[in-house]
Amino acid sequence: MKEAKAYVFVAPAAALAILFSFLPLGKSLAGSFLRISQSGKVLGWAGLGNYVSVLSDPSFLSSIRNTLLFVVLFLPLNTAITLLAASLLRRKGRLTSIPESIFMTPLAFSLSALALIFKEIFRGRVSIANRILGTDMEWLEQPFTAMAVLAVMGVFLDFALDFILLLSAFRNIDRSTIEAAGIDGASAWTIYRRIEIPEIAGMLRITIFMALKDAVLISAPVMVLTEGGPFRSTETVMYYYYLEAFRSGNRAAETTIAVMMVAFSAIIMSLASRRRKDA
Amino acid sequence: MRRIIRILLLLLLSAIILFPLLYALSASFFTKVDFTAPAARFLPSSPSFRNYALALGNSHFSRYALNSLITASLTAFLRTGVAASAAFAFTHLHFRGQRALLIALLATLFIPSDAMLYENYITTARLGLLDSYPGIVLPSILSASAILMMAGAYNGIDRDVYDAARIDGAGDIRYILTMLIPLTAPVTGAVFIQAFVSSFNSYLWPLLVTTRPSMRTIQIGITMLGFADEGELGAQFASIMLITIPFLLILALSRRLIMNALSGGVHG
Repeated sequence: MKEAKAYVFVAPAAALAILFSFLPLGKSLAGSFLRISQSGKVLGWAGLGNYVSVLSDPSFLSSIRNTLLFVVLFLPLNTAITLLAASLLRRKGRLTSIPESIFMTPLAFSLSALALIFKEIFRGRVSIANRILGTDMEWLEQPFTAMAVLAVMGVFLDFALDFILLLSAFRNIDRSTIEAAGIDGASAWTIYRRIEIPEIAGMLRITIFMALKDAVLISAPVMVLTEGGPFRSTETVMYYYYLEAFRSGNRAAETTIAVMMVAFSAIIMSLASRRRKDA
Repeated sequence: MRRIIRILLLLLLSAIILFPLLYALSASFFTKVDFTAPAARFLPSSPSFRNYALALGNSHFSRYALNSLITASLTAFLRTGVAASAAFAFTHLHFRGQRALLIALLATLFIPSDAMLYENYITTARLGLLDSYPGIVLPSILSASAILMMAGAYNGIDRDVYDAARIDGAGDIRYILTMLIPLTAPVTGAVFIQAFVSSFNSYLWPLLVTTRPSMRTIQIGITMLGFADEGELGAQFASIMLITIPFLLILALSRRLIMNALSGGVHG
């Protein structure tokens, strides 16, 4: 009787977990080994056939290349700029709350609002971006620059949260070690590199892994900023999944990509948490 | 020297971070012609509130905003409630399979909802919840990290409080509402704010499950107001500013709270 009460309290969470996480995962996993018609009818056993056909689809392979290019452009830029911002403000001063507030403003933007603004900033040859940078480019019309704009927008979406996490990690460092090193004559740079960076390394790893997971799974920003273009050059894996699942009714791609992405992000997340214990 | 470099770097970063916001603000006062000027403009030629009048006068705009407010509030209340209830059971009660259940719930963190998009769409359609508030809200109610945060806070509460409340005849629900939640208000607030903001800003899921204009949320809505097609880009930026300004105000007023809320869920 007493136990029954406990289950009532856990039931809503458990039901939601089953309905929207485990059931769909199970269905994707099972479906990835079956031949399923567009209308959802099971036609027979497929073995590894679905995986083979998806992995040999040139569009899927190019979506992997596009995602990799996005990660390569986005991750170092995001890490460098958030670490720089947090490092510059790690000591609380009289005026630090001003830049702190400024660095938090991207939180106010939603994805679609930001995408519409970016579209205008980089629109055509007479764009404000060209005027500021002194360039003469159609940023969103060329494969590489379109991806670069997408990466910069990704930084705007992740920046504020990563900045806050790193800043609070810096500020939670025990001051006594830093002060002792200062008394011993260590320079500010030495203290930063030898004491502070190792202290925040755990949080830095977490933000990098979180950003990596976001980057690998990116789809909505692609949808609103470039719709995969120009010439499918910004079509990422998850955007390809969206197109195949919802536009083409390609159940083989939908199920196998879902399974592969769950496996992949589980690997990333467990790497992140393993490292956390070492630190 | 070091100080000057630091200040210059901060100024540069601030300028970059603020640019899209300031540009959107400026563009919300542009006239039609300003957008097509041969040299891109920084500032409007003849600022007026015409664009804002257009945005506010759009019959869909207020409906979209209302839908977002409703779904974000629903998500925030339900996520907080579901997480509080589960966290209470895990910290205050003992039951068979407790550990396994907790691990199973935490395992949902490893299943990205983006990869379950299609299957969840089918489930929502089968439940007959397309084009409804529950359909927009339901898949994002459960947050294992919210349960984790709240269980962490509830663990810190002296069990004598619970025993005393029970002797006084208070039921468990009353104990949660009148003791646990007030005693752990910062964590509850953090979960609530996170849920509200992430739901208010969500794009892909509401786009998929709504087809009727009257059910669309503002994030989908601002891309569909049709201003861009009419050449009224200024009105589009005015509507962007109208939904961004409230969040800027909240940020300015509760910066500390939000910083704690966001860094609370992740421990280094």
